[in-house]
Amino acid sequence: MLPFNTLLTIQRTAAITSFLAGALVVAVVIFLITTSSTSEDKTSVKHKVYKLRGRYFFVLTLCVIAGLFISLRLLPYTKFQEKPDEIVTIVAMQWAWKMAPGISDKSPADFEGSNEITLPAGRHIQFNVTSSDVNHDFAIYNSKGVLIAQTQAMPQYHNKLEHYFSEKGDYHILCLEYCGMPHAFMVGIIHIN
Amino acid sequence: MIQLNPAEIKNQRRLVIVWSITFLIAFPLLIVLGLLMRLNQGEEIKLGIDTFYVLMTLHGLGMAGVLYSMAFAGLWYLISTRYVRLSVATGYVVYFLILAGVTGLAYATLLGKFGAGWYLLYPLPFKGTFWPTWSTGLSIISLTVLGVAWIIGLVHVVYALSKEFGGFTNLLGWQYLGKKEIKRELPPIVMITTISLIPGLIAFLAGAVFLIMNLMQYFEPTLAFDTLLLKNLVFFFGHTLVNITLYCCLGWVYALLPEFTGREWKTNKVLVYSWNATFFFILFAYFHHLYMDFVQPLPFQYAGQIASFSSAIPATAITMFGVITQLYHSKIKWGIVPLMFLLGVAGWAIGGFAAVVDSTIAVNAVLHNTLWVPAHFHTYMLGGVVLFILGFLFYLSHTKEEQEKDKTAKFGFWLFVIGTHSFIATFYSGGLRSIPRRYNDYSGIPIEATHSMGAFLARLALIGIILLLIGLMVMYISILIKLGKKNNTTVIQAAEA
Ligand code: HEM
Ligand SMILES: [Cu+2]
Repeated sequence: MLPFNTLLTIQRTAAITSFLAGALVVAVVIFLITTSSTSEDKTSVKHKVYKLRGRYFFVLTLCVIAGLFISLRLLPYTKFQEKPDEIVTIVAMQWAWKMAPGISDKSPADFEGSNEITLPAGRHIQFNVTSSDVNHDFAIYNSKGVLIAQTQAMPQYHNKLEHYFSEKGDYHILCLEYCGMPHAFMVGIIHIN
Repeated sequence: MIQLNPAEIKNQRRLVIVWSITFLIAFPLLIVLGLLMRLNQGEEIKLGIDTFYVLMTLHGLGMAGVLYSMAFAGLWYLISTRYVRLSVATGYVVYFLILAGVTGLAYATLLGKFGAGWYLLYPLPFKGTFWPTWSTGLSIISLTVLGVAWIIGLVHVVYALSKEFGGFTNLLGWQYLGKKEIKRELPPIVMITTISLIPGLIAFLAGAVFLIMNLMQYFEPTLAFDTLLLKNLVFFFGHTLVNITLYCCLGWVYALLPEFTGREWKTNKVLVYSWNATFFFILFAYFHHLYMDFVQPLPFQYAGQIASFSSAIPATAITMFGVITQLYHSKIKWGIVPLMFLLGVAGWAIGGFAAVVDSTIAVNAVLHNTLWVPAHFHTYMLGGVVLFILGFLFYLSHTKEEQEKDKTAKFGFWLFVIGTHSFIATFYSGGLRSIPRRYNDYSGIPIEATHSMGAFLARLALIGIILLLIGLMVMYISILIKLGKKNNTTVIQAAEA
């Protein structure tokens, strides 16, 4: 289960690590430019750099393995989620969201639902997401405008997105897969109370 | 090694100049499309929604196509003047096919209003479109022509190299892994070319299958192909194309940087291992485009993240440390060519890191299809590939002394670099603020903070874009004045000699 309530931290962590990585790159560039006026024999440089490279290789490999080990447990897929308390069917169409509680046995085209829906807080909700025409992407934004969860809405397939709304309030649905002209205007709303 | 007569070199040089001029014309035009998009997102101008998506499609397809083609043309030139004879006629066939394909796309978008985006995600080109069906057909056919041209070109190069170096596995450097003595040294550029172009070939074939299926759909609208399969095909194609564009450029960085540092950069076991590993990472990393397709088989999702993370190891430990070994205490004179290569590698590193962040599935859940995505690939392309290409063009047009002394060009260069990174910073910030990508503007977003932040960042981007355009024009003057004039760099010393 993803720590959705701390999701801001995911974006912030991304920001901080990327910034540090960028700063490191800039530092190396400046270092290389400013130290290049010295002349040193290639073999001795090679010796020094390769020693550093050996250590770097070791540390990086450890980081990669650790990074994979930690992050590959935090997956948004059903297998990694709790058993849902409630199921909601979502059908994306050009250019609206059809949402209704329960599992539907209708075809996506015949399914009826609304752009607006009310759901309870503090429950594991599974969104059963599909599309009746082209690819869309069902993305949930909280009231502060933070993207907190998403899954593609694709024709022929059902993606199961689980989310636990800990806070009450209005959540907006935006489409995050280009689906034609009014793509940027394809919004829905979920009230959580 | 080959013995070329001056006439042959002249012909190859003419071909690469034709390429360069085409690139120099197309590139700023495509930038202007980007500028218009950002202006529209900043609500400074009001394009029709359809126009926005038409421009987006042409900009994306055009940039990806033009940069790959130019990267390939650069490799072609260096290989054909140093290592193996390539047919100039084939070179022109490729050129004119690409020109035809690009013209077709320009026609289909600008006049036909085709606006399905550069990866025309099936079945979007066939449902709820705002453009006539013929422009879908023309686009698919034009893309097929491009694919055919690229395949002809790369097969010709790899085939010629493989004959010259005694077999395909030699091109991958496998002879370095055994105990036998190396009869013929393998220049890194040849190995890197092969390792870029073979995945390229596989990807273009996947692209061809994708296009054929689209073509069938076009003629028989009742068909319904598997959407997940087509998504896999198109992202395998698109990701690989963009990925190998940069790797192609690295080929010439390996070949040319030593000419400025005076330190050789040779193939050895470690290099062979690392590039052969890269071969697989190129093929499997594309799965990171489908993380949010929860129905994609789980092993593929794992493969995507593992391949993406792992690709950082050879990229940084081998190539970037290689660049450090080249430059550290080298007493190099910082002409514009080595500067371009160094800053290009830096752009690649930054864009690459941002890509690795986004290829973490848990992070992708909140960054997928936000502006973080254009942020990372614009860094990689504009801050990496474009600098490598401009560096190559300076190499082509300037002597070593000229490129050291050219102060104006260096000024333009720094403007360009600063402009690029400030422009891209607005994309990164947007991604972190959850601003969606591919929105003509943000006025439809019901969350006011998101709408105004999106529009504000788009306006802010203008400063960077203007700086980079000025920088680019300054460099253009310098390149164009010298490009046609001299044959200075055609005195080829085959690097292996
Ligand atoms: C100053 C130069 C450039 C500017 C101002 C610019 C601007 C833009 C903008 C505003 C978008 C739309 C972003 C969105 O909302 O999704 C975009 C998309 C894109 N750009 Fe650029 N860009 C520039 C250079 C490049 C370069 C060098 C490439 C090379 C590959 C490139 C390739 C793309 C692609 C592939 C897309 C995606 C189109 C799509 O989503 O279908 N751009 N660019
Ligand atoms: Cu959409």
